[in-house]
Amino acid sequence: MKEKLNYSYYPGCSLHASAGEYDLSTRELFKKLKIGLTEVPDWFCCGATPAHNVDELLSLSLCAKNLELADKVEGDLAVACAACFSRLKTTQNVLSESEVKRKQVEKAIDAPVILDSHVKHLLEILARDLGPERLAQSVNKPLSGLKVACYYGCLLTRPTDVPNLDCVEAPTIMEDVLKAVGAETVAWTHRMECCGANFTLSRPGVVIQLTNAILDSAKAAGADCVMVACPLCHGNLDIRQKEIEGVYSVNYNLPVFYLTQLVGLAVGLGPDKLGLAAMMVNPLPLLKEKGLL
Amino acid sequence: MSRIGVFVCHCGENISRTVDVERVAAQVGKLPGVAFATDYKYMCSDPGQNLLKKAIIEQKLSHVVVAACSPRMHERTFRKAVESAGINPFLCEMANIREHCSWVHENREEATVKAIEIVGMMVERVKKNRVLPTITVPVTKRSLVIGGGIAGIQAALDIADCGHEVVLVEREPSIGGHMAQLSETFPTLDCSQCIMTPKMVDVANHPKIKLYSYSEIELVEGYIGNFQVTIRKKARSVDEDKCTGCGLCMEKCPIKKIPSKFDCNLGMRTAIYVPFPQAVPNTPVIDRENCTKFKTGKCGLCQKVCGPGAVDYEQEDRLIVEPVGAIVVATGFDLYTINEKPKGSMIKGYGEFGHGKIPDVIDGMTFERLASASGPTGGKILRPSDGKEPKQIVFIQCIGSRAREKGISYCSKVCCMYTAKHTMLYHHKVHDGQAYVFFMDARTPGKSYDEFWRRSIEEEEAVYIRGMVSRLYQKGDKIVVMGSDIAVGVQVEIEADMVVLATAIQPQKGADTLAQKLGISYDKYNFYSEAHAKLRPVECATAGIYLAGACQGPKDIPDTVSQASAAAAKVMTLFAKDQLEREPIVARVREAGCVGCFYCKKVCPYGAVEEKEIRDRQGNLIRVVAYVNPGVCGGCGTCQATCPSKSVELDGYTDEQIVAMIEAL
Ligand SMILES: Cc1cc2nc3c(=O)[nH]c(=O)nc-3n(C[C@H](O)[C@H](O)[C@H](O)COP(=O)(O)OP(=O)(O)OC[C@H]3O[C@@H](n4cnc5c(N)ncnc54)[C@H](O)[C@@H]3O)c2cc1C
Ligand code: SF4
Ligand code: SF4
Repeated sequence: MKEKLNYSYYPGCSLHASAGEYDLSTRELFKKLKIGLTEVPDWFCCGATPAHNVDELLSLSLCAKNLELADKVEGDLAVACAACFSRLKTTQNVLSESEVKRKQVEKAIDAPVILDSHVKHLLEILARDLGPERLAQSVNKPLSGLKVACYYGCLLTRPTDVPNLDCVEAPTIMEDVLKAVGAETVAWTHRMECCGANFTLSRPGVVIQLTNAILDSAKAAGADCVMVACPLCHGNLDIRQKEIEGVYSVNYNLPVFYLTQLVGLAVGLGPDKLGLAAMMVNPLPLLKEKGLL
Repeated sequence: MSRIGVFVCHCGENISRTVDVERVAAQVGKLPGVAFATDYKYMCSDPGQNLLKKAIIEQKLSHVVVAACSPRMHERTFRKAVESAGINPFLCEMANIREHCSWVHENREEATVKAIEIVGMMVERVKKNRVLPTITVPVTKRSLVIGGGIAGIQAALDIADCGHEVVLVEREPSIGGHMAQLSETFPTLDCSQCIMTPKMVDVANHPKIKLYSYSEIELVEGYIGNFQVTIRKKARSVDEDKCTGCGLCMEKCPIKKIPSKFDCNLGMRTAIYVPFPQAVPNTPVIDRENCTKFKTGKCGLCQKVCGPGAVDYEQEDRLIVEPVGAIVVATGFDLYTINEKPKGSMIKGYGEFGHGKIPDVIDGMTFERLASASGPTGGKILRPSDGKEPKQIVFIQCIGSRAREKGISYCSKVCCMYTAKHTMLYHHKVHDGQAYVFFMDARTPGKSYDEFWRRSIEEEEAVYIRGMVSRLYQKGDKIVVMGSDIAVGVQVEIEADMVVLATAIQPQKGADTLAQKLGISYDKYNFYSEAHAKLRPVECATAGIYLAGACQGPKDIPDTVSQASAAAAKVMTLFAKDQLEREPIVARVREAGCVGCFYCKKVCPYGAVEEKEIRDRQGNLIRVVAYVNPGVCGGCGTCQATCPSKSVELDGYTDEQIVAMIEAL
């Protein structure tokens, strides 16, 4: 048995707001798996998608300061949101390559820049640090019979020039985790297509079109549900699903789970600990049908 | 007392910009033993060399130091000049004050002081130089050519036509390489078979060419003019001398469903086979992995039907040693299999394109086989999945090539042209079909090339879309191509019946292993490196080894053939002399000191150290000492560093010389 796993935790803004169930299920899952998780005290927004489009120094500094705060807590940094993950990694990469920018940021945050800490997405922690074998050992309710479409979206494996968690265009890390907990994964075409992310507020028309293509493809591949690892993807696929069904006169009825919710189910956590009630597309009928509740 | 002459070069401004050359000459002129010191703008030019020669005679110089560029650049030039003025060339040394000094420094004062020190070191060194005799070695006037694609074939024919024997080694059962697989060739659309097969026949019939097909290089020993090459002739299971090529065995062989590599797995072959009907030699080979006889001991049909009794299941690999004087490497290329993500490789694969999963996503070479009159469909363009004629076909260029984030940054050079060719062949065969091409740029430099490309658009109605494709997926019996048109700034989706990927040209698998056997260098992609990109494009840095064709970098047929003929010309230049001169920078053993431990023999990477017996007058053995064969010694100096009794030294790099340099500092 390896030593006990311990992480500092950067939830990101969404997990304290629209994606509360992601936060809840993450904490509960880690508790159940006996993995230490300590929230970084005083963390704040990383700037996510807007900041780096407006001001690079600002975006780098926001991330650098959070990295510095996280460094005071023991363990590698666990990140739940794909956008936060991408920004934090990019910051480390940019700052390790440019001394000029490093100096600017150091001045801006009035603290040292931490470049050698490990930033890890929850997926990596489950698939690599814990590993499929140990994960499988913790399963007491295998998700057998559940056909899941794993949706990666754009940011989990990007940008391409930053050392990232899996192959940019054809990753398998989500499928690896789900196989370990007994679920079936479907091969489908839109697993890496963009959902429009935060354009959901400024250009809803575009987001509805993109998201529809994703749901359509998942349905066509025979999936019962979709799994995501990012609160922005979740927002579009879950919250907008009813609206999309109306616009295109279709019926998808595809529950959209967070990674931690599905894995949580498999290790025996109940619906209340996974925040299933917060999901817009009600997953309970599906889970009952599959005998998972 | 030596009378040393020092000549400081400005190298135009390359040196004098940062180094005060006049001061260097003045300063060095004061050193003991230096009889003459001067500076000049271009020492390597004709007046520069004349200045050197004149000074040697007038000043009665005994040694020379030229302070200029790297010895790799001009050591030969100056040693030749010195020799013509009557001094042994090895009493001339170069002090490198360009690469080692002026190019890497900015501060003029500091650079000048450093230059003075560098030259001072060489002055002390040259005092210890000894007169060295030039070593000559005989030349074996036979050549080895590795690889029997169009490059190897052309080089072999050119050398053999000059009357020199050629040993041609091909790994596959037949020569021909990739060109034998092509349908019609740009820029003239002549049929590849028609221009290729006569050359293959010429090889087979040439009295001066010894062809080893289905063979590989096992070991290469020796050096320029005198290589010993061990060739592994793999067991063919058919006796080449007895076989008449009647083909009865292939007719009768019951194992008929093995995907043919030559036909890019579109067609099938038997277990005993020739890769294609025009193969040279036209002798079948048994694929032992798939043959029932080898798998279970039963069958044996081919042996029963073979009239001349050529089938021989007992045949074994044979090792043959061939002495040759020169080697031409022409091992060609392979296409990048994009669905693979080779372990430990920097290349990342294209899982998103479904190549290998979606049957109608094929590569360019597979399209060549579909379009070839002698191919598995008889030249009809038909989809591999259901044999239907594709009415919408999409070609995608630059797959793997020019994609830094995927691991390959170079351009494969031939794909723009062959894709244009493919759209034409398609249009000629499917009149009501539409071809689309996704491309980044169309690179068509070459005689009649751009005209050819324009023709595919203007006359053959191909639609070119500037932009790349992000993903391919199967939808019903269509393949959805998701791409972008960056000229218009929109996303494009095409429902295609078939997709052809122009995948990157890579060196042959195992190119690195062969390079290590030959002792030649290769780049990070495993393409073989030429000695100089501009001035020595067909020679390797290793003397006596030459390059031809796509093994050195992506090339089309005209470029390949030109390079092959150039390599042949280089071989003939070498063979024009009976004796080769080589630098006498070789190790020499001081027998009195040698204790016979033979550590040197163990470390010598060239295998140059031999054991020599010392006997008294009665013939009794007294001692065994080391002896360095000057013909084989590579001059690396490893033995010198290893010898515990300091009894072996490299001429030109003795301890005495090196210590003198250090002491001068
Ligand atoms: C799809 C496609 C279409 C093309 N169309 C055209 C065209 O229309 N016009 C044009 O000008 N060019 C075209 N080309 C380019 C053309 O194929 C090459 O220029 C040419 O084949 C290069 O010849 P080569 O002899 O260097 O290499 P190859 O043809 O690859 O031959 C190399 C030979 O060496 C052998 N070999 C490899 N390793 C070893 C080893 N270790 N020991 C012994 N033997 C070995 C191989 O088996 C092979 O027989 C095309 C290329 C492609 C991919
Ligand atoms: S091996 Fe025998 S049967 Fe086969 S081609 Fe040669 S001669 Fe004919
Ligand atoms: S022995 Fe092997 S090659 Fe010969 S006919 Fe039988 S299967 Fe074919």
